[in-house]
Amino acid sequence: GSLCSRNKHYSQADDEENTQTAEIERRIEQETKADKHIQKLLLLGAGDSGKSTIFKQIKLLFQTGFDEAELKNYIPVIHANVYQTIKILHDGSKELAQNELEASKYLLSAENKEIGEKLSEIGGRLDYPRLTKDLVQDIEALWKDPAIQETLLRGNELQVPDCAHYFMENLERFSDIHYIPTKEDVLFARIRTTGVVEIQFSPVGENKKSGEVYRLFDVGGQRNERRKWIHLFEGVTAVIFCAAISEYDQTLFEDERKNRMMETKELFEWVLKQPCFEKTSFMLFLNKFDIFEQKVLKVPLNTCEWFKDYQSVSTGKQEIEHAYEFVKKKFEESYFQCTAPDRVDRVFKIYRTTALDQKLVKKTFKLVDETLRRRNLFEAGLL
Amino acid sequence: MSVAELKERHMAATQTVNDLREKLKQKRLQLLDTDVSGYAKRQGKSPVTFGPTDLVCCRILQGHTGKVYSLDWTPEKNRIVSASQDGRLIVWNALTSQKTHAIKLPCAWVMTCAFSPSGQSVACGGLDSACSIFNLNSPIDKDGIHPVSRMLSGHKGYVSSCQYVPDEDTHLITSSGDQTCVLWDITTGLRTSVFGGEFQSGHTADVLSVSISSSNPKLFVSGSCDTTARLWDTRVASRAQRTFHGHESDVNTVKFFPDGNRFGTGSDDGSCRLFDIRTGHQLQVYNQPHGDGDIPHVTSMAFSISGRLLFVGYSNGDCYVWDTLLAKVVLNLGSVQNSHEGRISCLGLSADGSALCTGSWDTNLKIWAFGGHRSVV
Repeated sequence: GSLCSRNKHYSQADDEENTQTAEIERRIEQETKADKHIQKLLLLGAGDSGKSTIFKQIKLLFQTGFDEAELKNYIPVIHANVYQTIKILHDGSKELAQNELEASKYLLSAENKEIGEKLSEIGGRLDYPRLTKDLVQDIEALWKDPAIQETLLRGNELQVPDCAHYFMENLERFSDIHYIPTKEDVLFARIRTTGVVEIQFSPVGENKKSGEVYRLFDVGGQRNERRKWIHLFEGVTAVIFCAAISEYDQTLFEDERKNRMMETKELFEWVLKQPCFEKTSFMLFLNKFDIFEQKVLKVPLNTCEWFKDYQSVSTGKQEIEHAYEFVKKKFEESYFQCTAPDRVDRVFKIYRTTALDQKLVKKTFKLVDETLRRRNLFEAGLL
Repeated sequence: MSVAELKERHMAATQTVNDLREKLKQKRLQLLDTDVSGYAKRQGKSPVTFGPTDLVCCRILQGHTGKVYSLDWTPEKNRIVSASQDGRLIVWNALTSQKTHAIKLPCAWVMTCAFSPSGQSVACGGLDSACSIFNLNSPIDKDGIHPVSRMLSGHKGYVSSCQYVPDEDTHLITSSGDQTCVLWDITTGLRTSVFGGEFQSGHTADVLSVSISSSNPKLFVSGSCDTTARLWDTRVASRAQRTFHGHESDVNTVKFFPDGNRFGTGSDDGSCRLFDIRTGHQLQVYNQPHGDGDIPHVTSMAFSISGRLLFVGYSNGDCYVWDTLLAKVVLNLGSVQNSHEGRISCLGLSADGSALCTGSWDTNLKIWAFGGHRSVV
């Protein structure tokens, strides 16, 4: 048919089209060349592993940070977080009071019962009211109720966010009519990202010229079958994998029978085995070290099936280090098991992080930058 | 009622549903006394034959710098739009292989694209969980950026496929990783209807593909990671008209049969199937046996205008032409001269049925045309 005919009749339309094509090809070439200098990083990890916090830190560290308008955008988010937190605690206490042996300690005092129901109703709405002084009084009364404090101790089973304390201790400030969120508030704010977010930055703040340019992608918003889209990221420079090591005694939001650390292990191994990442470097962030540090002395590490052969050796700081090293070793083993012998040349580094600690995140990204630059030079044959 | 009691009742109800489903399946098997190929063979039909020059690669569309994920033809004018991992849409003139538009996308992670019926606009969607519409007539700015003319946002997961309602530039159906399909009004940018979702009898996992019936544009089918395909009527969003079981893995692609009474499905289980929308029966399985090793996944499919041929792309680079009547592979475009070097990710037939376009992870698109004097089937 006409599609395969070779005898072309040149016309003006053809000429126009040729010019158009030439122009498009020139532009594509230009864009591709510019794009080559940007190192792409993909942020992966289970839910609540601290990915978004890392993302926000980078914005604060290597970009201009948040301006006042952006900060103000976080007010409804922070208010929502307050309502959601108090609802989880209230509903949790109710469930525990029904099903537990020592049920009575989870029973709210008579005067707080009504307040609790009211707040729980608000927390279940799709739109939340602005946090007023009156509501703050109610929330504080409920928060101080011994039943709620008992429930908080069971936080690991109830999906209570890590930042519950922070929210409850700052209620007064949040409800001020002139309230503008601080950097710290923004870091603590929890928002479910939808889709994919990206940020471009250069880790060396002072002398930008020598710094590599990075573009970081967070796909935390995709709560679905990763296998259907992970191949889009073939060719990224490195995967930054976040693992919240403090979660070894916690269960999943979606499935309360499943341990979060086991989920993280499965995800880590699955990502490593993806054909699209055969040549990709891996930066493993063992995150939430601050919480881990506090927890590990109280809750034995071998609570988690993956760490069941762990034996504590001492106490205090030494024990923390020992436990951390054990976790790190487990991830290392997992890495080598999931990496084909002919692919051991991909870079694998482990960093101990606390996403909320700005200095530490800065230091970590400088190290990541050094590693990746070294890798680039090596690949270019310069090292 | 306590949580434990609720859980118990939920488990019992789930069990009942599964039992009924199994019963239904047994009943269907009992009623199914033949399939299309069995019947056709008994009628003495013989497979379509293809000579070496009957379907040849006559154009290679080069220009993408990443894997090609999706393509669509204009109903007229022989234009093709393609979407690639390089973050671009390219519009091609299939007759000359020239590029008429290149659109650099604000969100590079694009997975699907579609041409509007009038050929004036293109739509695309991906990991940004939105569907973006570009008017091809709007001028590009000085940085070479093509302005988005409409953003359709509301999905809570990636947009896996999109198709315009035939003859309507103002309506489009999307499928998404959030387990729903959505009918959009492009003029207002709002959702007209949502199919599936939390409180409805919809898909229970990511929806990967949609196909609208050309004979009755109120009907469409969807395929999902829940291994089923579902039939929907756009006037009744509250529930699926029918659910089609049979596949053993993700249903990656669905396509209405030209007569509108049947549709085809392609899956990660390596097979394609043909279902009847009136009886709900599976009419035929199209499955080529493979040795041990990995079974290649079906990524994409298209029927010829008469429906006699079914073009199917596979993850291993094969591209089979099936004779739908006899369920036989009559040609493999993956093992002829000029075949692609990677996964076939998408394919589509031109409106007049005279050419096939395939897109691949090898970054190229290829146009295959029916040569010789064969009348188009």
